Amino acid sequence: MLTTLRRASWLRAATLGIGLAGGAGLALAADPPKEEEVPFWAIGMPKGNTLAPVPSFPIPTPVDKLPVGKLKLPPGFKVEVWAGNILDARGLRLGDQGTVFVSSLFVAGKIYAVTDKGGKREVKTIAEKLFLPNGIEYYKGALYVATPKEITRYDNIEANLDHPPAPVLIYDKLTGEVPHGWKYIRVGPDGKLYVPVGAPCNICAIDDRHAQIRRINLDGTGEEMVALGVRNSVGFDFDPKTGDLWFTNNGRDWLSEDFPNDTLNHVSKSGNKHFGYPFCHQGNFADPEYGWGKNCADYAQPAQLMGAHVATLGMRFYTGTMFPAKYRGAMFIARHGSWNKSQKVGADVVVAWPDDKGGVAKVEPFLSGFIENNEYLGRPVDVMQMKDGSLLISDDHAGAIYRVSYTGS
Amino acid sequence: MTWSRGATVAAAALLAAAGAHAQPATDRFAPCASCHGEGGVSPNFETPSLAGQHSFYAITQLFLFRAGRRADEQMTKEAKAMSDDDLRAFSDIIGQLPPAAPFRPDPVDPARMTRGAALAAKHRCASCHGGDYSGEKQVPRLAGQREDYLGKALAEFKTGTRIGYTQAMNEALAGLAPSELPDLAHYLAHLGVVAPAPTR
Repeated sequence: MLTTLRRASWLRAATLGIGLAGGAGLALAADPPKEEEVPFWAIGMPKGNTLAPVPSFPIPTPVDKLPVGKLKLPPGFKVEVWAGNILDARGLRLGDQGTVFVSSLFVAGKIYAVTDKGGKREVKTIAEKLFLPNGIEYYKGALYVATPKEITRYDNIEANLDHPPAPVLIYDKLTGEVPHGWKYIRVGPDGKLYVPVGAPCNICAIDDRHAQIRRINLDGTGEEMVALGVRNSVGFDFDPKTGDLWFTNNGRDWLSEDFPNDTLNHVSKSGNKHFGYPFCHQGNFADPEYGWGKNCADYAQPAQLMGAHVATLGMRFYTGTMFPAKYRGAMFIARHGSWNKSQKVGADVVVAWPDDKGGVAKVEPFLSGFIENNEYLGRPVDVMQMKDGSLLISDDHAGAIYRVSYTGS
Repeated sequence: MTWSRGATVAAAALLAAAGAHAQPATDRFAPCASCHGEGGVSPNFETPSLAGQHSFYAITQLFLFRAGRRADEQMTKEAKAMSDDDLRAFSDIIGQLPPAAPFRPDPVDPARMTRGAALAAKHRCASCHGGDYSGEKQVPRLAGQREDYLGKALAEFKTGTRIGYTQAMNEALAGLAPSELPDLAHYLAHLGVVAPAPTR
């Protein structure tokens, strides 16, 4: 099936006259190369364009060089380095005994456990040589780890940080591709594990195993589709009042510098669960190729547009009491920062307040300052509330975790 | 060659201990130069030239050697002796080496150049490595690299014995036959040096 999709996609590129080669003054041979031969993100790249995903630097930024002094927050908030030298720090989850679990992606392929020893953070690698282990969740004593292919469980993990148990395979019905294959997983208030499967491409026709968010029982049984037409979600949370799922979604590339938007979406219990991909983007724009004959009003509408190419990732509803009362029930959302845009945007954390009608009332900046001279000083990936109500923010660019607290001064 | 590379291990370890970043650039490159050549122009079989290579690519490869994710006994030993600061220092030095003509390249074979150019165009090597194959950031310069090293690297990607963070290069070579790789290596090795580089 995938082979068919890729071939079809190549033919599309050929039809549109989109070429990626410099040409070297030679005629192309009659048979086109397989699509696997160009990186997936480059499909659809206009001729002569040189934008590319931001490469990952393999060494963390030294702690004394982290840009804490350049970061901006609303009045009364303070940011500090909570832990540094954590290469490729991505997903954040909190154990019952206070262990912070940190996932990573291409560069490190590790899962870390960070513990607080009298105000100093101790970092242990508890799993390594994993392939894109971005998705983690802690639930009832166990750590769940999702790669593009499968989900495993490490039981009684906090008591065994020095000698983690062998992982138990619970689910292997994921599609396994690298493009948009890395995961973000959460256990919902229904006790089920939510797992997305992204589209294996920038834009392509999809089958019934891609571009969706599923939920499964914790033993891997009972697979159900929760949301469809979701290009690539790498962040979601559950409204503590209603239990509803809210998720972020990354919009397609190469249409325009300014378009289409990433989105924040609300899956209501009775509403439309198809969010439009690949036919419609941001709820109101039919795809130039796949959108013909489609009416975007037929698809679930985004709760909020989040900006074009900003890479909206991890998010959390705030339930703590440390921050001023207006933040309770609001969503803190990490925007990783753009690559498919000449002037970098995002690389921040914003706050979105739900209205009482299932949508979003307003969005405000929260933590920013990670872009300097069109270069990244850091790229926020995930946000997580600590027991004291402070907020941790992971940064895979610098290999650091920041803590934001409210001091009122 | 094996002898000289072995000697380098000890030198690199000493250097790492002394703090590579505290010394002048030419001294700091000296342990690399014993295998990779003066100015990074390698005279040694299957040992890559580092001249004109990008620091981002260099540090990524040093990281992969150190992590045991790129197989080369000598380079892994050397990298394992390096701290993060050493990795930064060595890659910064490498990134400052200007591109240079290769060491005694084989004569140009026009028929192989034509075949290699057609392969490079058909398989869109330039889409990542640049129209003149000079690379950028984490993507290596290929133009003017040693032909035997290019052949070795291509074969390793083709057989899957070498992978990067992902299998992007392995997939990029999916449509090439092993028998086609030598012509591609011949073409890239002679670009910009004894044959004009194509323009973007």
